[in-house]
Amino acid sequence: MNDEALLSVRDLRTTFGSSLTAVDGVSFDVRRGQALAIVGESGSGKSVTMRSVMGILPRTARITGGQAYFGGRDLLAIGDKELRKIRGREIAMVFQSAMEAMNPTLTLERQLTEHLIWHGLCNKAEARKRAVRALGDVGIPDPEKRIRTYPFQLSGGMRQRAMIAMAMVTEPDLLIADEPTTAVDVTVQRQILDLLKGLKDRGTGVIMITHDLGVARYFCDDAVVMYAGRVVERAPMASLLDDPRHPYTVGLLGSSVEVGGRELALRPIPGSPPDLSRRPVGCAFHPRCPRAELPRCQTEQEILTIGPDRDAACWKVTVDA
Amino acid sequence: MPDELVRAESVTKVFRTRAGEVRAVDDVSLTVHRGETLGLVGESGSGKSTVARLMMGLQPCTSGRVVFDGNDLGQLPARELRVLRPRMQMVFQNPYGSLLPHFSAIGNVMEPLRLHERGDKASRRTRALELLDLVGINTHNAELYPRQFSGGQQQRIAIARALALEPDLLVCDEPTSSLDVSIQAQILELFTDLRNRLGLSMLFISHNLAVVERLADRVAVMNKGQVVEESPTETLFRAPQDPYTRQLLSAVLPVRAE
Ligand SMILES: Nc1ncnc2c1ncn2[C@@H]1O[C@H](COP(=O)(O)OP(=O)(O)OP(=O)(O)O)[C@@H](O)[C@H]1O
Ligand SMILES: Nc1ncnc2c1ncn2[C@@H]1O[C@H](COP(=O)(O)OP(=O)(O)O)[C@@H](O)[C@H]1O
Ligand code: SF4
Ligand SMILES: [Mg+2]
Ligand SMILES: [Mg+2]
Repeated sequence: MNDEALLSVRDLRTTFGSSLTAVDGVSFDVRRGQALAIVGESGSGKSVTMRSVMGILPRTARITGGQAYFGGRDLLAIGDKELRKIRGREIAMVFQSAMEAMNPTLTLERQLTEHLIWHGLCNKAEARKRAVRALGDVGIPDPEKRIRTYPFQLSGGMRQRAMIAMAMVTEPDLLIADEPTTAVDVTVQRQILDLLKGLKDRGTGVIMITHDLGVARYFCDDAVVMYAGRVVERAPMASLLDDPRHPYTVGLLGSSVEVGGRELALRPIPGSPPDLSRRPVGCAFHPRCPRAELPRCQTEQEILTIGPDRDAACWKVTVDA
Repeated sequence: MPDELVRAESVTKVFRTRAGEVRAVDDVSLTVHRGETLGLVGESGSGKSTVARLMMGLQPCTSGRVVFDGNDLGQLPARELRVLRPRMQMVFQNPYGSLLPHFSAIGNVMEPLRLHERGDKASRRTRALELLDLVGINTHNAELYPRQFSGGQQQRIAIARALALEPDLLVCDEPTSSLDVSIQAQILELFTDLRNRLGLSMLFISHNLAVVERLADRVAVMNKGQVVEESPTETLFRAPQDPYTRQLLSAVLPVRAE
C-alpha cells in the first residue's frame, strides 16, 4: 500500500451471478488533491468498480476479493453501518445520470441539506445557506428561488449541476464522479470542471470516470485504462495521451475526434467490447487488436512496468530504455 | 444557389407553462439545401431540439413558417402532410428509446415500410436486410431483439429504420452523445459514407463540436432561442465572429498536446 494514497484499491474482484466477472483484479491509487481518470468503453467495469468501493452494488453482485484502503480502513470490510457514515461526508459521488442520484419527490433544499444535517455538520439555517451558495457556485441562476423546486422542473444540464452542488457541499475527502459532464454543453462543462478543480486544490482526491479524453486531460493527473474488467494501462495523464502504449489505448485515441482535426483520418477500433460472460481467453482485446499475434495473445498477460509510474498488460508494448 | 429542401422562416415557439411563458425559439431562419449537412450547436436549453421539431412539422410554430420542398407545413391539409412525413426522419440520442422493443432488428426496419404500404412482405424483408447491411449490422443477427445489441449497434439499427422510407431529410439530435468514442467514430464514418452514397440532407445537432466540424458543410450557432451566427464550417471554426461562438470554441478541451 502506498502511504501517500488517499484511496488504495487492491485486486478488487466483483461478480454477478455465477459466471460474470465484471471487475477482475483491479488495483489503483488516488492521491490527496489529485484526480485519477478511469477510461474505457462502456461495459468495461468502471461503474461497478466505483460501486464496489462505495458499497452500493445491486443485490445480485458479490465482491469476491480485494481491499480498498481509505484513511486506514478497508472499505470492503467495515460493513454497511460504518460505510454509511463515510458516504456523503468523507466520500461523495456524482452519478452518470442525475435522475439516479436525486429523489424526484424532494425539493433541492431537502436533498442538499440532508447530508449536512444528518452528519451533524451544521444546523438547518446554516445548511440552507451553504446549499444556496453551492447552487450559485455551480452556475444555477437565482439559487434562492431554485432551491425550492423539484428535480423535474430543471433542464437536464441544470439537474446535472445541482447534483454536483450536492456532492460538493460537504467538502468531501474523496469525490467519485461518473461521467459528470456528458449532458451539458462545453461552456457549462468547463465551468463545472473549474469548480471541481477548486475542490481538488483544497485537498479533495477525485476519481473521474469519463470517455471524453479532453476532459480527462484537462482535469486529471493520472489515468487507468480498463478493458473487459481489467486495468490494461496505467500512466500519468499526459504521458498516456501523448505516448499511449497499450494497443487498446492507442485505439481509444485513434477514435477521438478533435476540433481542428477535420483532415485527420479516424482510426476507430473495429467491433465492440466482449460480452463478459464469454470473455476471450488471455488478452481479452485480441479479437479486436490490430497487433494481435496468436497464440501468444491468447495467454494471460502480466502487468509489466514500462516506464516511470506506468505499466501495461501487453507483451508487445514498448518499454522505456 | 443550390437547391433548397427545407426552410424555416422567422420561426418562433413559445411554450406556456405554469411558471410563465418560455420563448424557446425566437425568430429563427434556417435553410437546409439538398445534399447538405447543416450543423446546429449551442448552449444547453438554447432551443436546438425545438427547432428540429418545428422543421419536421412535429410541433406548430407560434409564428413564422416552415417550407419543405415548396410546401408550407402549417398550411398543408393533414392528408398531404401524411404523405410528406416519411420524407423527413429523425435519429435521437437514445437509440433504445427509438426502437420497438418487441420487434427484432429486421422487424424494426420493416415496420415503417409496412405502415406506408411499400412493396409486399418479401420485398420489405429484402430491403430491410439491405439497410441493415448498409449500416453495418451483420444480417445473421437480423432476428435478434434491440436489447441484445450494444448501444452502438442499436443506434445503427435506428439509423437503418430512419432510412427505410428513403427520406430526403434526416434530422439527428445528439446521435452520438450516448456512445463511447470508439463507437462514435464508427457511427461518424457511417454518416459520412451515407451522405456520400445516398446524397442525404441532414440537420445535425450536437454538443460535440469536433463531430460537427467533421460532418457539417455549414454550422448555425444558437444561444437563448436565437441563431447568433451561421457560416460555412471551415469559416466558423477558423474565424468565429459572434462572442458566444468564440466562448463556445474556447471552451473545447483538446485531447492531444497542442
Ligand atoms: N414541451 C415543453 N414545455 C415547456 N418548455 C419546453 C418544452 N420543450 C422545450 N421547452 C423549453 O424550451 C427551451 C429550449 O429547449 P430545447 O429542448 O429546444 O433545448 P436544446 O437546445 O435542445 O437543449 P439541450 O442541448 O439541453 O438538448 C428550454 O428552456 C426548455 O426548457
Ligand atoms: N446490475 C447488473 N446485473 C448484471 N450485470 C451487470 C449489472 N451492472 C453491470 N453489469 C455488468 O458488469 C459489467 C461492467 O459494467 P459497468 O461497470 O457498468 O461498465 P462501465 O461503467 O465501464 O460502462 C458489464 O458487463 C455489465 O453488463
Ligand atoms: S496482448 Fe496481444 S492482443 Fe492484447 S493488446 Fe497486446 S498485442 Fe494486442
Ligand atoms: Mg458506467
Ligand atoms: Mg436537445
